[in-house]
Amino acid sequence: MSAASINRFGTGAFVLFTLTAPWLLPLFVDAFWVDIYSEILIWSLLAASVNLLYGYVGLLSFGQALYFGLGMYGVAVGVAKFGLGFWPAFGFGIFLATAMAVVTGALAVRLTWHYFAIITVVFSLIFYFMALSWKPVTGGDDGMPFTIPPVFSMGDFEVTFKDPTTQYFFIVITIGICYWLLNRILQSPLGRAFVTVRENDLRATLIGLNVYAIRLAAFVIAGFLAGVAGALFAFFGRYASSIYMFYHVSGEAVVWAIIGGIGTLFGPVIGTGLLIILREELSSVWQHYQILVGVIIILTVIFAPKGLGGLWARAVDYIASRSSNGGDAK
Amino acid sequence: MTATPLLEIDNVTKSFGGLNAIDGASLSMASGTLHAIIGPNGAGKTTLFNVISGTLIPTSGHIKFLGQDITNEPVHRISHLGMARTLQIKSVFPELTVYENLWIAAQSRDGVFKPFARAKEMRPANEKADALCEELGLTGLANHKAANLSYGDVALLEIGLALATDPKLLLLDEPVCGMGPAETEQTVAKIKKLAKHIDIIIIEHDMEVIFDIADDIIVMAQGRVLARGTSEEISNNADVRVAYLGDDHDD
Repeated sequence: MSAASINRFGTGAFVLFTLTAPWLLPLFVDAFWVDIYSEILIWSLLAASVNLLYGYVGLLSFGQALYFGLGMYGVAVGVAKFGLGFWPAFGFGIFLATAMAVVTGALAVRLTWHYFAIITVVFSLIFYFMALSWKPVTGGDDGMPFTIPPVFSMGDFEVTFKDPTTQYFFIVITIGICYWLLNRILQSPLGRAFVTVRENDLRATLIGLNVYAIRLAAFVIAGFLAGVAGALFAFFGRYASSIYMFYHVSGEAVVWAIIGGIGTLFGPVIGTGLLIILREELSSVWQHYQILVGVIIILTVIFAPKGLGGLWARAVDYIASRSSNGGDAK
Repeated sequence: MTATPLLEIDNVTKSFGGLNAIDGASLSMASGTLHAIIGPNGAGKTTLFNVISGTLIPTSGHIKFLGQDITNEPVHRISHLGMARTLQIKSVFPELTVYENLWIAAQSRDGVFKPFARAKEMRPANEKADALCEELGLTGLANHKAANLSYGDVALLEIGLALATDPKLLLLDEPVCGMGPAETEQTVAKIKKLAKHIDIIIIEHDMEVIFDIADDIIVMAQGRVLARGTSEEISNNADVRVAYLGDDHDD
């Protein structure tokens, strides 16, 4: 088997599992794991936004929760305060997050490395404290619940999130589209330019690439992805809260991305999945389970700098080279 | 030949704190000649390249490239005007393959803000990257990461990156520095060949190389232009002997 066919098989198995999870998972575990799986997929998109910036463009953002939070608030405020329907609220949330990424990114991507990391934290904290204190609009840390409008309605016929299967597949399809888009962009000239900038920004400008514009483009796409994740999470939880804008959330996304494997498309899904499962299983029985998370991070950084996604790629290469050697009639 | 000079440097100063790395240098260089800049360490040669290529903005003075003022232009725009540069410490994209290195440099001419196009289907850049691999003799290494290349091949690849951008002017900063005799010979032959259709300005310490290839030698010392002329004029110049070659009559 070639490396490409193993990867295709892996992707196929993952897609098949995702499409059958609402029926498959309850056969083996409690039905609430379907919800946890939706949650993993949503959060993986936040990790993917970190991964796009860090893994492909070389910018480590500790502030992606800001765009996630704005996606959430756009939906919640849109529905609860402006009386928007499902789609306008969804669009409003994504728009707010993306617009914020344009404005903050225009300033932030002038910096790199720790300066960039610090400014992204600062931006997210500014808006976190604003959301926390602006209670009439945001509900502060009590959160802002809302009644979810139907996705589609015509006479008596309604498609709504009240049906768990509809909710699940809406989330899956939206996230599927996001990953498809991300993959498409990474395979484009712009995606190649991202990696070029990560590798050597001075050389990139010398061959005529506008490094600032390339970094800003990545930052805005990352903000968009985080915004979609936040908007979906608002629909999923039927509420928004400032706690999801705190930098702790940004930090978790960085951890998920690193453990999953920066610079790999599906790494963030693996990392997010593993750590959320760990949290679900351990946090109730062991208060200090995050010590274990810390150990996993340290081990990953030392022994698998490209994360689980990188280990997977190495394993695939190994199997592929062994099977091709075995296939030769020597 | 057009009357417009290739490069005009008008009273350029670059200071770092109190130190003038370039101290009121003025130079005009014509197209069609291979220019070399020499001088002792700290003479301001690389700083001059930095202000020409835009990686540093001069403290005062003006720079014109093919008649156009580029003093405050950003680096990437100067690149699009037709200037390419190699660095003293060889600089490529280490985690990309040789082919990908050349590809992105070629694609920079057609624009990279095409998020929905497929990189693999960019015909002009694909063809140019293939052609450059061939021309540089790197076809066998096309799928190797640049990080795994030998020093000489990295230097060659860096020149390839510059060529992929279709430059009118190529700035070479110590291209044979750190090379063995065989690699040096190969690189010098390459530079001579390139000089037939691209204007080149070269910084080099290897006097043998300079006297071999340069038509016009500019000697810098302490941020100023000390002397200028052909190899013969320079080797007989008393000031240059003192400043650069030293007051040593052994050779």
